[in-house]
Amino acid sequence: MKYLTGLLLAIVLCGCETVQPWERGILSKDEMQWQSNVMESRLRNQVYASKEGSSGGPGAAGGGCGCN
Amino acid sequence: MASRQDDLNKTLVALTSSAFLLPAYQSAMADAPPEFTEIGTRYSKYKEDDISAKKAFGGRSERYDIDVAQFYLLAPVSDDWSVALDVSWEDMSGASPWFVGESIEADDAKVIMSGASIEDTRTEVSVTTRYYFDSGNAGFNYTYSDEDDYESKALSLDGSINSEDGLTTYSAAVSASDDDITPTQGAYPTNTLDATKDVRSAWLGVTQIVSKRALVRFGLSYTYRDGFLTDPYKYLDDRPDERKEWTVSAGYRYFLEEPNAALHVDYRYFDDDWGIASQTVDVAWVQTFKDTTVSPFIRYYSQDEADFFSNIDYEDTDYFSDDYRLSAFGAFSYGLRLSHEIGNWSINADAERYQTDESWGVYGGEESPGLVEFWRYGVGLNYAFK
Repeated sequence: MKYLTGLLLAIVLCGCETVQPWERGILSKDEMQWQSNVMESRLRNQVYASKEGSSGGPGAAGGGCGCN
Repeated sequence: MASRQDDLNKTLVALTSSAFLLPAYQSAMADAPPEFTEIGTRYSKYKEDDISAKKAFGGRSERYDIDVAQFYLLAPVSDDWSVALDVSWEDMSGASPWFVGESIEADDAKVIMSGASIEDTRTEVSVTTRYYFDSGNAGFNYTYSDEDDYESKALSLDGSINSEDGLTTYSAAVSASDDDITPTQGAYPTNTLDATKDVRSAWLGVTQIVSKRALVRFGLSYTYRDGFLTDPYKYLDDRPDERKEWTVSAGYRYFLEEPNAALHVDYRYFDDDWGIASQTVDVAWVQTFKDTTVSPFIRYYSQDEADFFSNIDYEDTDYFSDDYRLSAFGAFSYGLRLSHEIGNWSINADAERYQTDESWGVYGGEESPGLVEFWRYGVGLNYAFK
C-alpha cells in the first residue's frame, strides 16, 4: 500500500499539467467517470459489503441492511 | 457518444449517491442540474453456489438466491436544484451457515446450514436533492430500507468544491443511520428478539486533474458502529457492540485515444479495531466502439481474520464468531459490462463471477468451511426525455 500511495502521490505532485477548461473534454467522457453505471455499482458494493468483513471507501457509509 | 449518455451518467453520479456518497470531479455537469429528466430500470440476479457435501454436515446444500429490481428517476427542479429517486426491491430465499462444528472422523470443521427456510423481501427508497453553485454542489439524502426483520433510516450530507483553476476538487460527506433488528422467529433460536444499531460515518476526498487524459483521487473515511453487531441468526455468534473502521483509498483514470478506451484502477486499504484489515484492487478496461461500450473488469480482495474468529470455540473468550465473513481469505471476481445506445434509449448488461479461497489471501489465518462463491448478472434500460 505504501508503494501504491507513494506512486500516486508522485503522479499528483510531480506530473500535473495545467489543463485549461477547454482542454477537459476527454476528462468529462462517460468512460472517465468514477462509476459508469450507478445502479450496478450500488448493487455491487452492497453485495461485497454483505459478503466480506470490510466495506466503505467511496464515501461515507450509508444505511444498513440485514443482508446475510 | 459524448452527449446524452455522458450527461446521463455524469449527472447520475452526481445525484444518486446515498449508501456510498460519491465525491469528486464531476466535470462541468457537477455544477449545474441535469438538462433533462432521466429514468432507468434494472433487473439483477444474485446466486450463491451450493455448499459442497465436504464442507457441510447433512450433505450438499443450497445457499442464497436473490432477485433485485431497481428504478431511478432524475429530474431538474430549477436552475440550481435537482432531485433524484432510487427504489430497489429484493426477494431472497435459501440458506446460510448457522454454525460450524467439528467432524470427529475427519477431524475438520464443517458448516451446519440453517436449512432452506429463509425467505425475505427488502424495499429501499432513497431520495437525494442537490444544490449547484458556481464552484461545486451540495447534496442531502434520505434512505429508508425495510425488510421483514430489519429497518434502516439513514441521512447524509455531502459537498464538493472546485479550486479556482478547476484542477482540484475537495469533497466531504457525513452520514448517520439508525437501524432496528427484529429477527424472524422460526425453527432456529436467534441471538436477540429486538435490538438496535447506529452507524456514524465521515469521508474526505481530493480529486486532481493530472493531465488532459488522466485523473487521480484520494479518500479517507472513518465509520463508527454502535449497538447490536452480532449476527442474530448465527447460533454461536457474539461480537463486540462497538466497531471503529478506517479506509484509505485511491483511484486513477487514464484515457487512451488510439484504442478509444479508458483504464480504471482503484485501490482501498481497510482497517478496524476488530483486527480485520483488508486490501482491494479493482481494474477495468472501458472500450468504446461507436455506440457500444465493452468493459471487462477484475477485482482482487484479501482480508485478515477478526481477533475473535475461530471455526471452533475452544477457548473461553469474551467474544466469538465462526462467520466466514470474519475469517482470513482472498477473493477474485471478474466480469464484463456491455452498454449500447439507440436514440434516447440505452440498454446495458453485466455479469460477474466471485470466487474465494483461504490460500489466495495475503494474510494467514484459519480457513472457514463457509466461504461463499457466487454469480451476479443483470440487465438495465435507461431513457432520456430529451
